[in-house]
Amino acid sequence: MGYQKPIPLKTQDNQPYWDAADRHELVIQKCESCQSYSHPPGPACAKCGSTELSWQNLGSEINGTVYSYVTSYRPFLPGFQDDLPLTIAIVELEKTPAVRIIGNILNCTPEDIQIGMPVKMAWQDITDDRSLPQWIPVS
Amino acid sequence: MANIKDRYAIVGVGESERSKNSGTTPLHLALDAARAAIQDAGLEAKDIDGFMSYSENDSCTSHQLATYLGVRPKYVKDIMGGGSSTEMLIADAIGLIETGQVQTVLIYRSMNGRSGVRMGGGGWDVNMLQSAIEGGSFIIPYGAGSPGQWFGLFATRHMHETGLTKEHLGHVCVSFYEHAQRNPKAYFYGKPLTMEEYLHTPALSTPFNKHDFCLESDEANAIIVTSAERAKDCKSRPVYIMGIAARQCVSHAHYWSDLSEVASDYVAADVYKKAGVKPSDLHVASIYDCYSWVVLRQLEAYGIAPRGEVGNFVAEGNLRMGGKLPSNTAGGMLSEGYTHGMNNVLEIVRQIRHDYKGTDRQVENCEIGLCTGWAGPDIAGAMILRN
Ligand SMILES: [Zn+2]
Repeated sequence: MGYQKPIPLKTQDNQPYWDAADRHELVIQKCESCQSYSHPPGPACAKCGSTELSWQNLGSEINGTVYSYVTSYRPFLPGFQDDLPLTIAIVELEKTPAVRIIGNILNCTPEDIQIGMPVKMAWQDITDDRSLPQWIPVS
Repeated sequence: MANIKDRYAIVGVGESERSKNSGTTPLHLALDAARAAIQDAGLEAKDIDGFMSYSENDSCTSHQLATYLGVRPKYVKDIMGGGSSTEMLIADAIGLIETGQVQTVLIYRSMNGRSGVRMGGGGWDVNMLQSAIEGGSFIIPYGAGSPGQWFGLFATRHMHETGLTKEHLGHVCVSFYEHAQRNPKAYFYGKPLTMEEYLHTPALSTPFNKHDFCLESDEANAIIVTSAERAKDCKSRPVYIMGIAARQCVSHAHYWSDLSEVASDYVAADVYKKAGVKPSDLHVASIYDCYSWVVLRQLEAYGIAPRGEVGNFVAEGNLRMGGKLPSNTAGGMLSEGYTHGMNNVLEIVRQIRHDYKGTDRQVENCEIGLCTGWAGPDIAGAMILRN
């Protein structure tokens, strides 16, 4: 059986993000006019409307802390029935706190998760050519 | 801007039967609700010249409804929308009456929310969801497909920052279930909830268990809005609109990157200013309750209790009968029924008209009420009503 869960759809606006993920790197869209980060990426800066956008490569050593989280005990989407309980977290990046990224926290029981907990990005190879950024606790 | 304070009124409310499996179409349900609202107002169908609805592509059109009421309408409008659409459409209706387009407008929400298209999900195409939801490809691949999870992310952080507990969520549920015991038409009539039972119910998705989630029901609701002048010709006691904030938005909540503010924060300032009242002037409320936490966050937004003190406010029983602000007195969407907010509008209209006078369901001496709508942390609206 192949990968049963939804695979991120690449679009005109988000393609560099997911291409980088496939290389196990993180890139974040940045506005050159007001210097704010735009995540998720879009066709223009959501702070000032500028289209002067660039992509910042933050590399493969991505640390952050849990900003908020939920743990789900039933699947709300098809494909997640074998992943329960499933923890979904918003992670604040250490180097760019304005950027918060949603992912699952892997290798961790729900009771151990709390706000402020340090985590680092890890990439799951979900198909031959696609990878999904995820989070694991920093031990 | 024209000051419309007290110049428009809700003159009729009505609903269809409520069930888990209506066995009929949204058009039939809408006709039942519309006829009930028209009768409540003491009008005839031909007196209605504008028809509006909101839906998630799960309803009938307002042109269909008007047709089968035997009316040739001057105006019809159907929008895509859920929570806070009622308030927005009422404001739209006022604008149309104010500019002479129409005189009296019927607004409805009709849905087979349990037997037909369920908001709680199931059967969605995941790639369609990724495209349909802004930023969807950054949440759907992680299993975050339900508002219960999205709002849960807000709730976990907000509870952490303000000291709200699971028990505080429980007080919202227990209070509203208690109201439902006075409402024979409520889903959970005859099924009260104790705090002990609530706290022992396993989580569906933290911080929420099944009691924190709203219901799903098959039903239609309708309301009729007209000018204060024309309201005098109606049979019903008019409920005047003191102020209405059609809609406010905050950006980027779709990705939950900023959990520090919600649209209701902006609605609150606007609606109190327009109505010329303050939180302590309110006697009764209908607070949009798709999830228990959403009520707590709005109590903070609308200044009913200060940030950090909302938990104590609900623990003291202030949402219950005899409390400082009895709220969602038909049971709300947690325990009465679910029409994306309109059932809560019907109830507050009936409270303010004193329809329940002489029974234990009537909030004593209630003259002024707040009715809020919440599409999400990012979109909200509200109105303040009086008799
Ligand atoms: Zn910018």
